[in-house]
Order: sequence, then C-alpha cells, then structure tokens
Amino acid sequence: MIISLQNISKSFGANNVLKNISIAIDKKECVGIIGPNGAGKSTLFKIISGSLFQDGGSIIFNDANIDKLSIEKRSRLGISQSFQSNSLFNEMTVKENIMVACSQSFKVGWELFKSLDKRTNIITKSYEIAEEVGLTEYLDFRSDNLSYGLQRQLEVGLAIANNPSLLLLDEPTAGMSNEETKNIVKMVKKLSTYYTTIIVEHDMDVIYSLAKKIYVLDSGDLIFDGTPNEVKNSKLVQERYIGIKQ
Amino acid sequence: MNAVQYDKKLRLQLFIILCCSAIFVNIFGDYFTRFLLSEIIILSLFAMSLDFLAGRGGMISLGHAMFLGIGAYSTAILFINFNIDPFLCSLLAVVIGLIIGYLIGFIIVKTDGIFFIMITLALGEMFHSWAYTNDFLGGSDGISGILRPKLLGMDLNEPLFFSYYLLILLILVYAFLAAVTDSPLGRNLDAIRQNSGRVLSLGGSVKLYKSASFGISAAIASLAGSLYAQLNGFVSPEISHWTVSGEGLIMIIVGGIGSLSGAILGAVVVHIIQHEFSKLVDWWMLLMGGGFILVVLFLKEGLWGLILKFKNYIIENK
Ligand SMILES: Nc1ncnc2c1ncn2[C@@H]1O[C@H](COP(=O)(O)OP(=O)(O)OP(=O)(O)O)[C@@H](O)[C@H]1O
Ligand SMILES: [Mg+2]
Repeated sequence: MIISLQNISKSFGANNVLKNISIAIDKKECVGIIGPNGAGKSTLFKIISGSLFQDGGSIIFNDANIDKLSIEKRSRLGISQSFQSNSLFNEMTVKENIMVACSQSFKVGWELFKSLDKRTNIITKSYEIAEEVGLTEYLDFRSDNLSYGLQRQLEVGLAIANNPSLLLLDEPTAGMSNEETKNIVKMVKKLSTYYTTIIVEHDMDVIYSLAKKIYVLDSGDLIFDGTPNEVKNSKLVQERYIGIKQ
Repeated sequence: MNAVQYDKKLRLQLFIILCCSAIFVNIFGDYFTRFLLSEIIILSLFAMSLDFLAGRGGMISLGHAMFLGIGAYSTAILFINFNIDPFLCSLLAVVIGLIIGYLIGFIIVKTDGIFFIMITLALGEMFHSWAYTNDFLGGSDGISGILRPKLLGMDLNEPLFFSYYLLILLILVYAFLAAVTDSPLGRNLDAIRQNSGRVLSLGGSVKLYKSASFGISAAIASLAGSLYAQLNGFVSPEISHWTVSGEGLIMIIVGGIGSLSGAILGAVVVHIIQHEFSKLVDWWMLLMGGGFILVVLFLKEGLWGLILKFKNYIIENK
C-alpha cells in the first residue's frame, strides 16, 4: 500500500467539503475519482499534496504519517500533481519548463554556476519527459504560445518531471477537444503503467478505460467504490452522478 | 513583475560597449570626470544588485540602500578602528552583506508584492535612523578618514587607477551575475517570479532560493557601499536613506528590469541627468520625472527594450 487516507474531513466555514473520507491505494494501481462539480475532488487532491491541511483524519504515505509535512516536502517524497487549471511557467519554453521541474528532483535547484542548459543529465531527462507527453516537436516553443491542449500535456509533463511515486492528475482532459482528449488518454494510459496514479475525471469513457478502481464522491461523501463495471451497474451512482450528467 | 526578454548576446554587447566607453572616459577625462565615472560604476553595481533581485526573483526592495550603508560603515569601522587593509575591508564587507542579507531574506521573503516593498522600506529606515543616532557610527556626521587600497604597487587613491579598479570589479560582478542568471538557481528564480506555487509543488525550496538571491544581492550592494566609502573617504547616514533605494529602482526601470547591462545603462543615464542637468537647469527634476513617466508608460522594457527593438529592426531589414 502506498497511501492511505484515514477519515479525512475538511470544511470551509459551514461548508463540509469532505466528510470522513477513507481510501487506500496500492502501488502501481490506477484509481479514478469521480463526482459532480463541487463534490470535493480537487480539495481531496490538495489535501494529499499538502497545499491544504485537513481538519481531521490522517494521511499515511509509504508507512509514514505525512500530516504535518509541507507541500514541497511531500513533493520530495514523491507526491506530484497536475492541476485542474494549467499552472505553468508562462515566459519559459517547454524545454525550460521541464528543466526547471527536473532541477528539483536532481537536487541542483540552488546551484549557482554551471548553466542549467549545459547540464546533460537534466537535458536527457527533459527530452525523455517531453517525449512521454508528446511535446518533442515543441521544445523551443514558449509555453504561453502552445495550444491549450498542448499546455495540458505540459501540465502533466511537469508533474512527472518530479519522479513521482504517486501521481495525482486533476482532470487532465478538462476543456479539451475530442481529438486532444484521445491523445492525452493514450498518454495517461501509458503513464499509469509506471506510476501509481489517481485521476479525477468527468469524462466517464476516459475513467472507465484508465482506472481499475473508481471512487465516487458526492457532496463530500464517499458514496461508492468499485471496479468500472460495478460503477456502471450501480443504481446509486447512476442516480447521483451519471444520471445528472446525461 | 515581468522581466525583459532574454537576449544573452545583446546583454554582453551592450556591456562591452559600456565598458569601452568607461575606459575612453577614464583615459581622456580629468579629475572630475573620473570621479563621476567612479560614482557611476558604483551606482551601476548597486543597480545590478537591485536588477538581479527584481528581474530574477521578482522582489522589489525599497530598503536596499541599507546594504550600501552596511558595506560603507563596515568598511569604515574595519579600516579606522581595526586597521584592516582597505582591500580586505571591501571583501569583508561583501561577506557581511551576504550574511546579513541572507538572514534578513530568510525572514522576509515569505511576503510578496507590496508587503515585501513595505518591509524592506521599514528595515531600511530603521537602519538609517539607527546610523543617524549611533555615536559609534559618528551620528549624523558619519565617519571620515577612509582610504583606498594599494594593490600590486598601485595606489588607488590616484583617480585613474581607482576607476580601473572599479571597472574590473564591475566586470567580475557582471560575469558572476550573468552566470547565476543562467544557473539552476537563476532559472528557478525566474520560475518563482512567474509561478511560485508551482515551484513549491515541484518540491523546490522557494524560501531558500529567494533568501539566497536576497543574500547575493545584498552582498553586491554592500560591495558598492564599501567602494563608495573609499571613493569619498567618508560615510554618512545619507547613504542608506530610502530615496537612494528609490533612485536605484528608477535606474533599473529606465534601463529595463532583468537585463543586467540595462541596469548599468540606467545608472549612467539617471546619474548624468541628476548630476549634470541639475547644474545647467533648475527644472531638472521635472525633466527626470517626465522622462521616467514616459519610460514607464511607453517603454515597458526600458532602454533595453528600445535597443532590442532597434537590433531586431536592423536584422529584419538587412
Ligand atoms: N479555498 C476554498 N475556500 C472556500 N471554499 C472552497 C475552497 N476551495 C473549494 N471550496 C469549495 O469546496 C467545494 C469543493 O470544491 P472542489 O474544488 O474540491 O470541487 P471539485 O469536486 O473539484 O469540483 P469540480 O468538478 O468543479 O472541479 C466547493 O463547494 C467549493 O466551492
Ligand atoms: Mg476540481
């Protein structure tokens, strides 16, 4: 087991966004989280990655309690996430974006002299990552000049540049066209074979094709969990979530 | 806070032109032009320290003249009270600036934007009024009797030599900052300026990177302060007044924030306007203020941006 969330709860004022959520995930598993808008999915991700702290419950990562750890410490332990809305370095090229991300996992971020773009180990790694997320042709494009779909791919690229042992993907296909979605699904499918992945997604086809196990959140409650088939056949989920969507 | 476009070649070309002009002025100048040149080089060092901080890490310090003060006073005290060699005094001033800058940075880099500006302003003013009232630092009179180094058999109290000495230091600092700009730290500072949250979530120590850059910047400002004390032979609290920091910021805005050699150009232009025009016309403040407003409104990347446009224009029309 790589991570276990135990009775996580979180409220914003009177709004109980997460209520007693417990989830355990095994190494190399690909897990999906679904739920209507405002169900608390992104909040759950923020709590796992450390940008928010839970009000109650605890998080065990690789057998250690990480409740008190800051976002950057958790990141160094291998928890890495891609965000629901792009969070890139806009004035930098694709290559520079990835190299800056890699400089953290190579632990050279504070070094003063040798130029970042003369470090062959980081360059090699950056090319690998660009390849992984299908951006090889765009290495020298400034990231704010990329199409939205390609920016989404870079968003995932930054997350994997960090050598994650747990990859959190918050709606990687958000706002993408069908064609772009196909690309990214192919990409994520491949990534989920080497990384333990948790993916939040509204597109049910995507989630069915990627996740072995799906958790369904609704207004902060974990209302169901099961295999894609079980979710498809669950009346409850149909009523509470998928029914609404269609 | 946006920094100017990155053009390493142009940055170096501009720097070389500026250095050549300095050598020219130094050879053919008289006592007064050499003194003016020395002042400009020292202000360029100060402007570069601000440029590095603002252009890379996105931090605007309105209290940086404090580090000029720290450098100048520590040089004065080390020389007068401890009889330490003037060159060594400057080196020690760099180290003192680095340490104090890093420690202060460590505490204040948590804040952002206007809060950061206000905290640096407050710290600077605290230092200024402390120096003003402190007897050991000579109060409002300051400390006089500071001499320049003798190096390799050359007495730098001779203006010609001192200007060259300053120019060599300027080249060293430029080379250092250019290297840091391209280094992982420099690129991480760029990343922090653009999106600090993402650097954190990638596991980067935003606080460490920012306080390191604050320390580096403070060390360079402190060097400038030390040299300024040696240039004038004395130091007074005025050196650390917040308006000095403000003038430094005007220099880098005029030059183009983040361009390094633009900061030097900004120091040249602003100081010459301030110094020479103030002798000629008594409405020079108006000239300066008006010019500054024009730059802010129409030249987002300052004079650097203008030069860059000119270069691109030439390339396109070749
Ligand atoms: N920082 C915050 N302060 C106050 N309320 C918040 C904050 N962040 C989220 N919320 C609220 O928490 C609830 C859950 O938000 P969250 O972003 O986790 O939903 P989500 O499941 O990711 O939805 P979506 O599918 O739209 O992305 C929402 O009602 C939202 O308004
Ligand atoms: Mg969300």
